[in-house]
Amino acid sequence: MRGTATGGAKRSRSAPYLLGLPALAYLGIFFVIPLVTLLKMSLSTNVGSVYEPTMVLDWHWANYSDAFSSYGAQFSRSFLYAGIATVLALLLGYPLAYVIAFRAGRYKNLLLGLVILPFFVTFLVRTLAWKTILSDTGWVVSLFDLLHVPMPDGRLLSTSWAVVFGLTYNFLPFMVLPIYVSLEKIELSLVDAAKDLYSAPWRAFRAVVLPLSLPGVFAGTLLTFIPAAGDFINAQYLGSAQNAMIGTVIQKQFIVVKDYPAAAALSFVLMAMILVGVLVYARVLGTEELT
Amino acid sequence: MTDNRELEALVRRQLQASWTRRGFLGRAGLAAGMLAVGPGVLAACGSDDDSEGGGDGETERTESDTLRISNWPLYIDAETIPAFQDETGLTVEYTEDVNDNEEYFAKIREPLSRGQDIGADLFIVTDFLVARLIELGWLAEYDSANVPNKANLVDSLAHVDYDPERKYSLPWFSGFTAMAYNIDLTGEEITTTEALFDPKYRGKVTMFSDMRDALGMVILMDKGSLDDLTEADIQAAADRVAAAKDEGQIRRFTGNDYGDDLVAGNVAVCQAYSGDVAQLQLDNPNLRFVLPETGGLLFSDNMVMPTTTENIVGAEKWMDFVYDPANNARLTAEVQFIPPVQQTGEELEKIDPELAANPLINPPESEMAKAFVFPTLTEEEEVTYTDIYTQVTAS
Repeated sequence: MRGTATGGAKRSRSAPYLLGLPALAYLGIFFVIPLVTLLKMSLSTNVGSVYEPTMVLDWHWANYSDAFSSYGAQFSRSFLYAGIATVLALLLGYPLAYVIAFRAGRYKNLLLGLVILPFFVTFLVRTLAWKTILSDTGWVVSLFDLLHVPMPDGRLLSTSWAVVFGLTYNFLPFMVLPIYVSLEKIELSLVDAAKDLYSAPWRAFRAVVLPLSLPGVFAGTLLTFIPAAGDFINAQYLGSAQNAMIGTVIQKQFIVVKDYPAAAALSFVLMAMILVGVLVYARVLGTEELT
Repeated sequence: MTDNRELEALVRRQLQASWTRRGFLGRAGLAAGMLAVGPGVLAACGSDDDSEGGGDGETERTESDTLRISNWPLYIDAETIPAFQDETGLTVEYTEDVNDNEEYFAKIREPLSRGQDIGADLFIVTDFLVARLIELGWLAEYDSANVPNKANLVDSLAHVDYDPERKYSLPWFSGFTAMAYNIDLTGEEITTTEALFDPKYRGKVTMFSDMRDALGMVILMDKGSLDDLTEADIQAAADRVAAAKDEGQIRRFTGNDYGDDLVAGNVAVCQAYSGDVAQLQLDNPNLRFVLPETGGLLFSDNMVMPTTTENIVGAEKWMDFVYDPANNARLTAEVQFIPPVQQTGEELEKIDPELAANPLINPPESEMAKAFVFPTLTEEEEVTYTDIYTQVTAS
């Protein structure tokens, strides 16, 4: 009897780990191994031809210093665009998520569906659609002209703003959904309690709703900022010749120039910068409160 | 490696026995299964890898019921494939997955270097990539005796420097890399490359992001020829483009996607490929194509077979079929690039005399005199030049 009992206990203790095994194996094979390969490549030198590369791991740290010195402008541009896009997505996304969570009533599911709807169309096509909307001869530009809204070079398409708007649009659902989930969980009786204690609506929001929704804001901003910083599609199609982001550089180094070590080093630098940014951000927001 | 290929052939035969459209999913599933066991099998037979490589030896006479072709988008008519299938009884699996030479190379490089199938028995890429693939020994030699219509190949393309006897390649179509403009926006005919740098068109100009396609014309404008090309020429042309970019002259660097901006009226003057413009004119009749006075580039896209081709016999039949003048004329009428087959012009006359007179499809001597072939580069030159221009396009 005793034996069976301990056996059962053992099994239940190891069960969560076993359940995690498929995901761990998946990540191990498709994330960790390529990552290690990438790290090795970023510190290697290609001694063979560019078409049939022979990588020698000679701890070539210059790949990293070159990445910084040659492409500093593209790094800062990427973080700037991604940063503005994240703030815009937050400003647009939070009120939207709030309305869906608390005020939508029976339209809740419909509105959520509409938020996700653009995902039924591929990323590339959605971005290309913006080309038509922002076109020099399109109605948006005509409207701006009519209202005398200043536009750089008299156009919207192929400007840094088009890139930022494209990023905001493409990643908006990643902002809305996590915020919605965290708002939806909030016990409305807490808001009622605040009101019972004579709290003004704005104060009730600041003291109750906002702090409780911070986990969603945290997740949403990360899910928006990280892919936006590495994106190159928006810059390529909506940007001008002067708006290349770091994703563009990495793609070109890999496909066109075929300098694989440089491309790998650039990828690692991007990853490291984002990681540091995320850690600092988590510190500032205070991860303890987020759980 | 041989074991693996036999295994694959066995599985393929099995699959073909029950091949229907609806059977596709099952086939894909099995293929995925094979992929999963692939690495193990490969590791087991990877030792004799070296003896396989290279197109310098005899090509194995592979044959199958299916011919897998990879081509660029919008580069074929609707009738060629059905007609070929009727004539030969082969099934053609046609994929439009070549969008960019370098991207396609990035995709096939890894498998071809290991002698693994790339999912195509015949594919179509531009001259410089053919030269590189021959150099790497990744292309299969075909038997010209099985392609009697090869005799119809125009003389000017019969002896190219990278493949003097056309043992590995046959041109699909040729075309000009030059300029297109929107007469509605320019208000005047464009005749020179200088228009790309004319401040009048500031922010309304696009240039190619490909080093050859972009800089070739600029060098011709400055130097008059592409002979004895040096790094200094490339650098000077790249500097010129960089300066224009910094001034806001160049709106974007494009690949094949330059057409959208041109049709939409966002761009007044741009670098363009000849055949595209014929098709873009359907959307915007104000578009015109011009070979500038100082010259543009002449390129050819070529049919080639990788060493891993599983149907060299079928590929030869395909090449022979499209080199038949009547078949070629039908294809040309749709694609509207320059056909490489001598008698196509006469056949085209029967289908559409207007097309036959089109100087972009049937260019007269005077036009051909303005078209230059970009010289084949050594690997070192290629790397240096590409790097120089990428610094401009990616900054």
